[in-house]
Amino acid sequence: MNASAAIGHESHGHHGPVLQYQPGLPLSRGKLIMWLFLSTEIMFFAALLGSYVVLRFGAAVWPKPHHVHLSEPIGAFNTFVLICSSVTVVLALEAARANKRSLAKAWMLITLILGSLFLGVKAYEYSSKFDHGIYPWAPRGRIYERPDLYYGSAVRARLSDPAILAKLKELDGRPENELSDAEITGRRRLKQVRDMVNNPDQQAFDLAVVADQIMPLPGEGADSHDHGGGLNDTFAWLQLPAVIPGGNMWASTYFFLTGFHAIHVIVGLIVFSILLLYELGPKAAGMIENAGLYWHFVDLVWIFLFPLLYLF
Amino acid sequence: MSNSEPHKSSNAAHGPITSPGKLPEEIESVAEDEQAHEHHGGIMQYMAVFVALCFLTTMSFLTYSSYWPWRDEPQVGWAFMMAVSCTKALLVVLFFMHVLWEANWKYVLTIPAAMMAIFLTIMLIPDIGLRNRMVAQERALHMARGSDVLLLEKAASADSSDEVEKHEHE
Repeated sequence: MNASAAIGHESHGHHGPVLQYQPGLPLSRGKLIMWLFLSTEIMFFAALLGSYVVLRFGAAVWPKPHHVHLSEPIGAFNTFVLICSSVTVVLALEAARANKRSLAKAWMLITLILGSLFLGVKAYEYSSKFDHGIYPWAPRGRIYERPDLYYGSAVRARLSDPAILAKLKELDGRPENELSDAEITGRRRLKQVRDMVNNPDQQAFDLAVVADQIMPLPGEGADSHDHGGGLNDTFAWLQLPAVIPGGNMWASTYFFLTGFHAIHVIVGLIVFSILLLYELGPKAAGMIENAGLYWHFVDLVWIFLFPLLYLF
Repeated sequence: MSNSEPHKSSNAAHGPITSPGKLPEEIESVAEDEQAHEHHGGIMQYMAVFVALCFLTTMSFLTYSSYWPWRDEPQVGWAFMMAVSCTKALLVVLFFMHVLWEANWKYVLTIPAAMMAIFLTIMLIPDIGLRNRMVAQERALHMARGSDVLLLEKAASADSSDEVEKHEHE
């Protein structure tokens, strides 16, 4: 690999040409391999992002960020964290090249901490999705596309679950002074929902009201506190199906994209942990540079993921 | 090579004769040393890029502010956000990944990859992007529509007006 022969001058009296190895490309093997690997990663994420763009803009309806409990400031904070970690990796490389070993190790450690912070924030975001019944797929995912008969029967089925019936009975039995204001209103609305869902003469609009009670989708600029957050928020054990038009496709693409990105972040953190075991002097600069290339790529993917998922 | 002295032929199986003292591994480290001695820009340049990246990240929120003039045309906002992302990506690739100072192989790497990314997205438009142009009745019965969103918003406002009435009666 990397070798092209050049005819050199003999110095030991041999009668054949003396060949010299010279690098075919002006970069080391490790760096070349890392760039080849990154080109495969570019293909991977380009496929994912490209198909997300097409799916999202071809969808009839797509949920707004506040419908799916997506917080743009948290995404921006994550972006900032990853950008900082890119800077610290570069600083670690510069320190290693200048033979400042403990400084290089310190920057590497900070990179590791920032990467872990990113993962922690991501885990927090995921948990807030799970709390609202937004999972990558059924049966844990409780998202319905339309407030129609199928949705109504799903709500009825959940309300007829023996465990839920027991809890509902217990809730109805408690006196008002034991419950918070939200729970008192919630109990009244829950009774409304049960009546509407069991009503044989229910109208299409009734189901929309039911959906709104269970998990409201606030309009542009509306204050979500008007509704008290919905029944699924007031009673965490209730876990009724919710209507988020376009929500299933959204959940699938969101978890797929951010999940694979998070896996890449984890791999990067493993690489940094291993590097921390080495002496980070000029000899290790090549390894740090290659690990840094991978980490910058992970940052790059997030730079595209953030606006596509959070801001569009 | 083959007409060299007898004792040399035993080395023929190991490949061409290298000139003394220049093993491939040494070529490796020389290449790395050359890169190490080239101080491109240095730390201040990286800091400048960092500040630019932070600024651009803040800019991507510009479409949310009240000063954004194109609220009625979301496509302008999307184009702006993509431009900001591409600029940020370019800064990371050129400076942090050192690609600005790399040789011409960087074009071999980046240009086909960029072409592939764009081509793949365009290729998916007829089958996936335009899938809702002609839908089967079965799908139409179950898919979400804009009217569902309006219905839910109506239910939300009906509920809040109920709340208002309740408070008025209390």
